Amino acid sequence: MPVVLTVDPRSGVPIYLQVIEQVKRSVALGVLAAGEQLPTVKQLALDLTINPNTVAKAYRELERDGVIETAPGRGSFVRGNGSIETTKTAATDVARDAIEAAVREAKSIGLLADDIRTLASAAIDRWFREDA
Amino acid sequence: MNYVEWLRVRNALRVTAICLGVLIVICLVVRISVAAQFGDRSIVDRIGREKDTVVTHSVVDGYNRTTMTNAREHTTVVIEDQPGGGKIIQVTEPSHSSRDRSESVEVGPVNVSTSQESGGIEKTTIETNRPVPFAIYLGIAAVIGLIVATVLGAPFARENDGHLEFAFLKPLSRTNNALGIIGADCVGILGSMIMAIVAFAIMHAFFEIPHFDFSGINATVIPVAIALPLSWYALLNASTASLKRGAGAVLGLAWPAAIVSQTLAHFNLGGSLAGQAFHAIFWGVSRIFPLTYVSFEGHDSDLSTLGPKLMVTATILTGLFLVYGALAVVQWRRVEA
Amino acid sequence: MSTISIKNLRKTYGPYVAVDDLTFEIPDACVFGLLGPNGAGKTTTFKCMLGLARATSGSVLYDGAPLVPETLERIAYVPERSVLYEWMTVAEHLEMQRRAYKKFNVARANELLAQFGIDLRKKARALSKGMRTATMVALAIAREADILILDEPTSGLDPINQRHVLNLIINESARGATVIFSSHQIGQVERAAERIAVIDRGRLALEGDVDSLKADRKIVEAILPSESFALNGLAGDSHILRLDRTGRIVRAMTSSDAAEVLAKFEALGASGLRIVDLNLEDIFLYAVSPADATADVVEDTKL
Repeated sequence: MPVVLTVDPRSGVPIYLQVIEQVKRSVALGVLAAGEQLPTVKQLALDLTINPNTVAKAYRELERDGVIETAPGRGSFVRGNGSIETTKTAATDVARDAIEAAVREAKSIGLLADDIRTLASAAIDRWFREDA
Repeated sequence: MNYVEWLRVRNALRVTAICLGVLIVICLVVRISVAAQFGDRSIVDRIGREKDTVVTHSVVDGYNRTTMTNAREHTTVVIEDQPGGGKIIQVTEPSHSSRDRSESVEVGPVNVSTSQESGGIEKTTIETNRPVPFAIYLGIAAVIGLIVATVLGAPFARENDGHLEFAFLKPLSRTNNALGIIGADCVGILGSMIMAIVAFAIMHAFFEIPHFDFSGINATVIPVAIALPLSWYALLNASTASLKRGAGAVLGLAWPAAIVSQTLAHFNLGGSLAGQAFHAIFWGVSRIFPLTYVSFEGHDSDLSTLGPKLMVTATILTGLFLVYGALAVVQWRRVEA
Repeated sequence: MSTISIKNLRKTYGPYVAVDDLTFEIPDACVFGLLGPNGAGKTTTFKCMLGLARATSGSVLYDGAPLVPETLERIAYVPERSVLYEWMTVAEHLEMQRRAYKKFNVARANELLAQFGIDLRKKARALSKGMRTATMVALAIAREADILILDEPTSGLDPINQRHVLNLIINESARGATVIFSSHQIGQVERAAERIAVIDRGRLALEGDVDSLKADRKIVEAILPSESFALNGLAGDSHILRLDRTGRIVRAMTSSDAAEVLAKFEALGASGLRIVDLNLEDIFLYAVSPADATADVVEDTKL
């Protein structure tokens, strides 16, 4: 199973959150297809050189968030039904975090709400120009 | 038995075997070269070549007898083979001195006695291959045992020097651990003593088949010979059980300390208070050492008192072995890594 | 089940206090990292846990019971420095361990030694420092113990073998073992450990779940209107562990609820507010070192 996850243990973000984010991102991008099996907890821990319980924790939250489901004895799989919804949810989660961080940063250096909205619109215009 | 200690013992026994082996080879070389010169055949030929000597050979009771007579010098030499491989050599000659001298000397298997007969004749009888008191062999074995005991003498100190994370993390009590180590060393010491006895018997056998005399005190010496190196080992162990470094210095100083304290204990330092005090101190210190209990004064060659005295010595030495052993184990239980 | 609880552990060597009043628990099947500067008392703690040193006071309990020889059947230890017998070969060390313990996987030991590139016939004195460490690690892992304690298990190893040891630790954890290890390589602890304790000068400076610590311990950075701006007792806030002021810049280290602290600064009129994540190294350094050297004023509100 071609799962490309990377984690940065030196970042201040807890590793299990990074794993969750990366899995959601992979699902959003379609790299992880609906119904596809995730690596076992032990395998992923060894691949990423991280604690297996951290992986287990991430998997539990992913299951709670409805991104994956675990069948005892068989493994963990990306949720098959409502795949478009799953993908969208995952993508939304990832994007939300990024946008929140950007807004927070902009506010912290003194921009007002309207300034930020203007910047956001400009960015959207620019990056979606090809789609116009 | 402790595996690591067993490896140490095996190495010590290997070195002992090599040393004894070298001794055996040297002995063999000596035997072969001596045989060429001093075999009785050649002696008989040499004496027989002298002027006026008549040599006759006969067989008495199935054993060879060679008689050499020199009528001019009134000297007769009779060599009789004995059952068991020894010989009796009788030399009859005119007395050399006017004194009425009878003496007897015994060195191991050889006995030489001289007596004055009537008519100014001196008779010298040399007997070879008399039974050897086994006590002599035990003495040699005890010396080897003492040496090996010194080599193996500080097992706890050796573990203390950076290996306790192996030694103390085994799933057995420290006491059992300690006893396992002591057991391995005792087997090694006794093994080296047996090797020594075998080696010396082999060397003896190059010259003639050894006969051992186990009678009388020879049997009583056995427990003493066993207990001496074991109690020495136990003393060394107890002196070093808490050490991490410096055990080698203690082992090296142990022998001189034993000898010096024993020697000093013998001196009468005068009746003054200081003299008596010092004598008491030296006497007291010498009691620590097992070898002190094994030195006997000249008058102890009286066999009737020697037997019981040896039993007492064996008991004391066994007691020392147990006490020092316990001291060592108790110390090791308290050592911290 | 192998919960280890350390209660009020104190160990003195004469007048010198090596560890004092250490209390923490290591849950079953946890990977527990022990951090601390050199000489902080990590090795002493291990020694007290293993009965190699006698605690002056306090206790170490395994599932509620003190350490007895039988417990050692379940514990494997890799000490910080080589304890191999210089005159024995690696193979003889293997044999020694095989005889000493009921459970010892000889095949696994051979496999690991081969992976590390160690020749079984070599005497220990012929091995480099790193090879000695690797040998002790291999011997310990082959025990398949319930509890694995490693003191600086990667010292002297090249980066490839360091990663290999880390993978072995992760593998042991996946097997269900409780792993306790100390390391100066915070990155390794960050990867492998779920819980950590920081020991500094014999005392417990910090203890907790790594993810929670990272979630809770943040720096709230704020720019005050002026250098002499009064903080109105914000320093006494229960969520703030430490306050560093340099000119107009304030950095508050929070124990939790960074967002709430940020809101309080905002209410005071500060600007340039942001929350900075801390990685384990930052958290560790804040726990053991004195104030940031460049700060004009530091108020250590609570440790």
